[in-house]
Amino acid sequence: MSHHEIQKPTDITIPDTSLFAKLPVIGGVLAVVGLGATLGSAMGADKARAMFSYLWAFESVLALVLGAFGFLVIDITVRSQWSIVVRRIAETMQATLPFFFVLWLPIALIGMHELYPWTHETDAILERKRWFLSTGFWWGRAIVYFVLWTVISRFLYTSSVKLDGLGDNQAEKDKIIKRTWAVAAPGILIYALTQSFAAVDWMMSLQPHWYSTIYGVYYFSSSILVFFAVTTLVSMALQRAGVLKTAITPEHFHDLGKFTFGFVIFWAYIAFSQFILIWYANIPEETEFYMLRMEGGWQWVSYALPVLHFALPFLYLVSRQVKRARWPLALGCVWLVLMHLLDMYWLILPAYGAHGGGEHHAHLAVSWLDFAALLGMVGAFLAVFGFLLKKNKVIAINDPRLADSLAHENY
Amino acid sequence: MATANPTTLPDDPKLRGDVVLDEQTGGREPLVRGDYTFHDITERVLAVNEKPIAQTPSPFKFGIALAAAGFAMFGGYVGYLIWEGPGIWGNNTPVAWAWDIVNFVFWVGIGHAGTLISAILYLFRQKWRTSINRYAEAMTIFAVLAAGSCVVLHTGRVWMDYYLFPIPNQMGLWPNFRSPLEWDVFAVNTYLTVSLLFWFTGLVPDFATLRDRATVKWRRLFYGILSLGWRGSMRHWVTYEKAYQILAGFSAPLVLSVHTIVSFDFAVSQLPGWHTTIFPPYFVAGAIFSGFAMVLTLMIPAREWLGLKDLVTVKHIENMNKIILVTGSMVGYAYGMEFFVAAYSGNQYEGFTFINRAGGPYWWAYWIMMTCNVITPQLFWFKKFRTNVKLTFVLSIFVNIGMWFERFVITVTSLHRDALVSSWDYFVPVTEVLFLTGTFGLFFFLFLLFIRFFPVMAMSEVKGVMPQANPHWEGYQHGQHGHGASGAVPAGAVAQKDL
Repeated sequence: MSHHEIQKPTDITIPDTSLFAKLPVIGGVLAVVGLGATLGSAMGADKARAMFSYLWAFESVLALVLGAFGFLVIDITVRSQWSIVVRRIAETMQATLPFFFVLWLPIALIGMHELYPWTHETDAILERKRWFLSTGFWWGRAIVYFVLWTVISRFLYTSSVKLDGLGDNQAEKDKIIKRTWAVAAPGILIYALTQSFAAVDWMMSLQPHWYSTIYGVYYFSSSILVFFAVTTLVSMALQRAGVLKTAITPEHFHDLGKFTFGFVIFWAYIAFSQFILIWYANIPEETEFYMLRMEGGWQWVSYALPVLHFALPFLYLVSRQVKRARWPLALGCVWLVLMHLLDMYWLILPAYGAHGGGEHHAHLAVSWLDFAALLGMVGAFLAVFGFLLKKNKVIAINDPRLADSLAHENY
Repeated sequence: MATANPTTLPDDPKLRGDVVLDEQTGGREPLVRGDYTFHDITERVLAVNEKPIAQTPSPFKFGIALAAAGFAMFGGYVGYLIWEGPGIWGNNTPVAWAWDIVNFVFWVGIGHAGTLISAILYLFRQKWRTSINRYAEAMTIFAVLAAGSCVVLHTGRVWMDYYLFPIPNQMGLWPNFRSPLEWDVFAVNTYLTVSLLFWFTGLVPDFATLRDRATVKWRRLFYGILSLGWRGSMRHWVTYEKAYQILAGFSAPLVLSVHTIVSFDFAVSQLPGWHTTIFPPYFVAGAIFSGFAMVLTLMIPAREWLGLKDLVTVKHIENMNKIILVTGSMVGYAYGMEFFVAAYSGNQYEGFTFINRAGGPYWWAYWIMMTCNVITPQLFWFKKFRTNVKLTFVLSIFVNIGMWFERFVITVTSLHRDALVSSWDYFVPVTEVLFLTGTFGLFFFLFLLFIRFFPVMAMSEVKGVMPQANPHWEGYQHGQHGHGASGAVPAGAVAQKDL
């Protein structure tokens, strides 16, 4: 707690020579090639398959960005101290949210018909759902989500960046910080509702007869988990690029690791809660979801997820040594990012077989389009993320709690 | 200089417990207000315990007499219940579960705040927990006992309850391991065991303090046995800290598991209103919500009467109110999501159940629940209300009421409209009010005994969050008169002899 001995870091801007500085170009190229190929295919005979790949890539990366948004509004509201050294990374991630509107447009404009059977099919059940599942209302809700996300994420990002230039002007700093407090707290409420309904709209309605009240919480658990894993990896990569070398210490990695570990358990808890209740009650309308994932090769993914997404990372990350050591923690986080992609794949792709492919049963078949869409989507995110990261400092250097964060120790 | 008489509050009103300080954009507010030495904390906390029995304050005597009467009445009621059987309740077909289960879920939920405060807040380094954890853990244990008594008694033939345990028996009769009611037996017993161990471990050093300060023989003996030979050596403390952390780790999953399994009691069924996938996290949030409300209901009068306002400050109350707001909103999210999915599903039975809840014969129960759990806690968005102690007390009671009604709404309204209209019925309680009152008697009787004989605050932990506990505290460097350089430390330092 002897803060006066700790110096503010000086390695706080991305050097021109580092890979991070080139991200806008590299990401841009990946985006053009990957998304170009996917959407190009979507114009041809493979339209449905291409759009499912696109949706999967979109939801996987959006989960990360929304996770950053959720983390930030909560972190600000609880007046967290430990996290200040990595908070700018989260701020920058969530600042890419407005851009996701552009990435969402192909889903609505090109793929809606192929992705969502309720847009054109009808039966007695779907008729009763028409009040919610109608194209106009669906569009309207999406616009509301994006407007709210854009306004809040921009505000939080620009407020934090404004602090950088204020030096010791405490009065002005207080004014800005107190304003972010006032926005972040209701932001949690807005975040909870918008991300839940976005998950219902864009993912749950892929199987429009099926419903589950926990679905929004499931998406949250995946999303916050991938956020902590990726933030850990980005922090490590930044240090390799010569930034924040002394600011982010094993103490912070330990905490990031603890959160990652905690949300591995939380994800499993939510996934298990949904599964056991549907399995136990055995109501046909609900078991449909799992039935689809128990055939055509998908059953292996269903069996693998509890082991590879929960048991293995649980046993691995439970160790304090792993959480405080660079390479072992990095390995765990890379693994969890891959598991997140598998989780999202398992949530989205079986619906393709069920209706998109016209065969009415699911078949696990990986396509080159999946890789193209994912590379393109990650590229698009990295381009914007890299651009913003380079543009401003990579740490909130003037945050009043920075000294506490730099001196942070676990007990 | 340190005050010789710890009952004197500091002159500066800024340092008194009930003054709300402006929140700083950096740093933290002090957790203990006033010019206290470590020794003063001991005096303050043990003042209640060390009064001779003859000098017990009369309000306390009155309170415990009332609670004891409630407890005695409960004893009589239990005898009557066992003699007559659950026919003395208003349960009918289709409402076969009513107040018995409602009371069980209500009490077991209350307990969760204690575990959350002692385990989860500990793992999250929330230092403000130190002033309230002991109190909340005691509440947990007594609430679980109250819950246990409801569920043990509701079986009717209570002498057969041992069948619930997987003990080998010559009849070859085994419990149904596929039933969540059986999982409940394991979950609640595990919960009680771990909570009791956690509570007792924390109490050991404080028992030793009471033993060392004892002036009469029975106290020396009583606290001597309870303190297990604690000598306060460095080795004892190291082992203690390790044990505490391990128990916190064990308790953390229990916060989730117990109420998750309680939610399974309902949710594994196919009944609309019971079967919905959000139940596990929703029940957990509701349990924490109700538990914090009960902590506030008990703590607000206690800090007043026991003179602990500098240790449980408005800051503590505000923090608890924030948790009330968060968990209340989570519960609100779940109510909303259930309603939404009932409409979204297009399932007419789901739809009917929820419309019937809000507008059917039990509409009043539903709206009491909505008002107390979702609407009134929203006042806590504003600092003005969060830091208003009287208002908090009233709202905490509202939450207690609302959460009891939540379980009533879930249990009774889902059941009273069966699939066949000919099976519909209306549940009216007969003698159940005595049952509920009796469990309150049990709870308060044990709780008041706890306040009188056990230290209500973890003294060593409170001392650990005071500025003096910091090895770099300015008070050491500048002699006996600290300069309060950090702004958080009140001017005036601790005399060395007090340490």
